[in-house]
Amino acid sequence: MASSSSTIPAAADERDRKRKRAGDETETGGVKGRRQEAPSRWRTRREHEIYSSKLLDALRLVRAGRGPSAAREVRQAADRALAVAARGRSRWSRAVLLLASRSRARAHRVRLSSRAPAPQPQGRRPSMDASTSSSVSRSSSAPALARKAQELGRLVPGCRKLPFPALLSEASDYIAALEMQVRAMAALAQALASVAPSSPSPSPS
Amino acid sequence: MSSRRGRITDEEINELISKLQALLPESSRRRAASRSSASKLLKETCGYIKSLHQEVDDLSDRLSELMSTLDDNSPQAEIIRSLLR
Repeated sequence: MASSSSTIPAAADERDRKRKRAGDETETGGVKGRRQEAPSRWRTRREHEIYSSKLLDALRLVRAGRGPSAAREVRQAADRALAVAARGRSRWSRAVLLLASRSRARAHRVRLSSRAPAPQPQGRRPSMDASTSSSVSRSSSAPALARKAQELGRLVPGCRKLPFPALLSEASDYIAALEMQVRAMAALAQALASVAPSSPSPSPS
Repeated sequence: MSSRRGRITDEEINELISKLQALLPESSRRRAASRSSASKLLKETCGYIKSLHQEVDDLSDRLSELMSTLDDNSPQAEIIRSLLR
């Protein structure tokens, strides 16, 4: 992939270009079959654009402005879009998608059974919810390192029982993806804020 | 790992930790990058992930507010699309 970058004089873009070039070099020098597995792929402009458009599409479906649940739905849509952008190549992305579909099916079932508005149990962090239910299996048998590793496994979705090396690589990929998510959402928020007309505050129906 | 099952040696752990440190440019840039202690690095990683989660939550909060204005004006969505390309 030729690193043809547009001439945007932004420091972040320069960093993106450097990262992309480094990623390309390792790509051509290393194994061809394992392309786009390094966490540095989350820094390419292309991934950013892909995620941004996915995010926008997902957000369109979220009929926001409904109040307190809107932020949570936005967060879930953003997480789902991020997981889809990972193209199923990482464990955490698969776990996020699994949890999303499962919680949605559960909410749908609840809504069908009882017509009362079922309070979703903290849908903000489905991973945290699932992990706190299964209590800690072993206490500090190993040194504090094991405890920290456990905490890390709780934070990264779907990586609780992973062995240490896999956990580390998943965590690094997850962090890089989260950084991109933050960048994309911040850019979107900025764009929306600048575009939003000077209309009066929207009156919620 | 094929060598030992159930208990990884300290050397292997250190190796993995240095690999993580190399893979996380942000994580190593925050401090002086001399904190090669595994425990500290893991703790910092956890804290970093938490702060990223928090940031995403704040941003989605903001986005949900802004989105309510977006729904009223559909042509704005196209403008935003073109802005992001």
